[in-house]
Amino acid sequence: MTTKISSKLCSIAEVQAAISAGESLFLAGSRESLGQLPKGNWVGGTISYFVTEEGGQLSEDRIFVTPVPASALGAEAAEYSAGNLAQLYRDAPENGFTFVVLPASSEVLKSFAERAPSFEGYLMRPVVGWVSGVRVDRIGVDTPAVFNGKTGAVMEDKCVALHVALPADHIADLDTVNIFESGDGDVIRFEEAGAHVTNCLIGGKTANLADYLAAKAVHTEFPLVGDYNGSSINVSFLKVDANAHTVDFYAPVFPGVDYRLAKPVDDYVSAFAKASAGGSVPDFACNCILNYLYGGLEGKQTGTVTGPVTFGEIAHQLLNQTMVRLYVQKIG
Amino acid sequence: MVPDVSHPVWMRIVTGSKPMKSTKSTVNMMIHNNKSSYERDPSPENVKQLVERTHKFFAQYESIFPNEIAQICQ
Repeated sequence: MTTKISSKLCSIAEVQAAISAGESLFLAGSRESLGQLPKGNWVGGTISYFVTEEGGQLSEDRIFVTPVPASALGAEAAEYSAGNLAQLYRDAPENGFTFVVLPASSEVLKSFAERAPSFEGYLMRPVVGWVSGVRVDRIGVDTPAVFNGKTGAVMEDKCVALHVALPADHIADLDTVNIFESGDGDVIRFEEAGAHVTNCLIGGKTANLADYLAAKAVHTEFPLVGDYNGSSINVSFLKVDANAHTVDFYAPVFPGVDYRLAKPVDDYVSAFAKASAGGSVPDFACNCILNYLYGGLEGKQTGTVTGPVTFGEIAHQLLNQTMVRLYVQKIG
Repeated sequence: MVPDVSHPVWMRIVTGSKPMKSTKSTVNMMIHNNKSSYERDPSPENVKQLVERTHKFFAQYESIFPNEIAQICQ
């Protein structure tokens, strides 16, 4: 495929030129900046926070560009609603990956978050991407959106996808960087999947999670960490309502997973720099807005990995407070 | 070399009687997903499906999971 533009934060004019030259792109930027782009083979979502080589930054008039890898055979844009998400996996290439952007607080995101592990094709067909958002001082005022550059559609209730087919001698590998690990506290389990929780099992006994968090004076900027056969998968706290005795998360919890509260992280900057050090430059990466905010990453360098700062990260399923990386590798 | 789908090792992986350790989150999600599915539904039909899916997964991604393939072959 044609690939001349490199992965970085670009001016609107640079992105317009790349689209007009026929490049296939994943884009991240403000609604205003993405709205100035011509139709073409691109998908994108709204976000104004980025990690660049100079450090974390907020920008409303620049767009983070990730070109489809040059080795790709093709890239096909598509859009899906909550009702036909299973089709995303059927449309995914036999060999390749699917890049997705889903709007925060949307039904399609809720559906993906709860159902992705049950879809035919989950893990077999790599799905990578992120959740679009808004400026944090505009939460509740502005609405996260996604863009389908092929049709020009701007949507708040659908997700966009770019299905990228790879030749037989290339393969897509997804990787996560999680600076959090399980603490030594109680095992917490849930009997139902969902992002709104009242009761759960704590140390094997039924208990109210909000009451437990209050009694333990838990710092909810640190996530709940699920143990997936030794890999730590975070679920971040959105809201703890002491009066209603409820807890809301940014992603669903699932039955059959042992969760624990995370060990506190004192220094996000050095933790990310250390955790993501070494290795090759990924073909795509994103990191979480909560890490950006809680870690005070604006203006600070966290290593060499760049990309949008997002309201949720996708590596097969919805993740929180995690860096996601995509590598397209030549086999042999 | 990934063992044939008929090899008993796949059944042991799916049912959890052969534990696997990996640093790759994709592999661990697969193992976890198998375990959850098997606990929910240990029927022979489901186990067969899980075996086929797990074999296909490792066959497809053999090149990027060499350490995991080595464990399977042990």
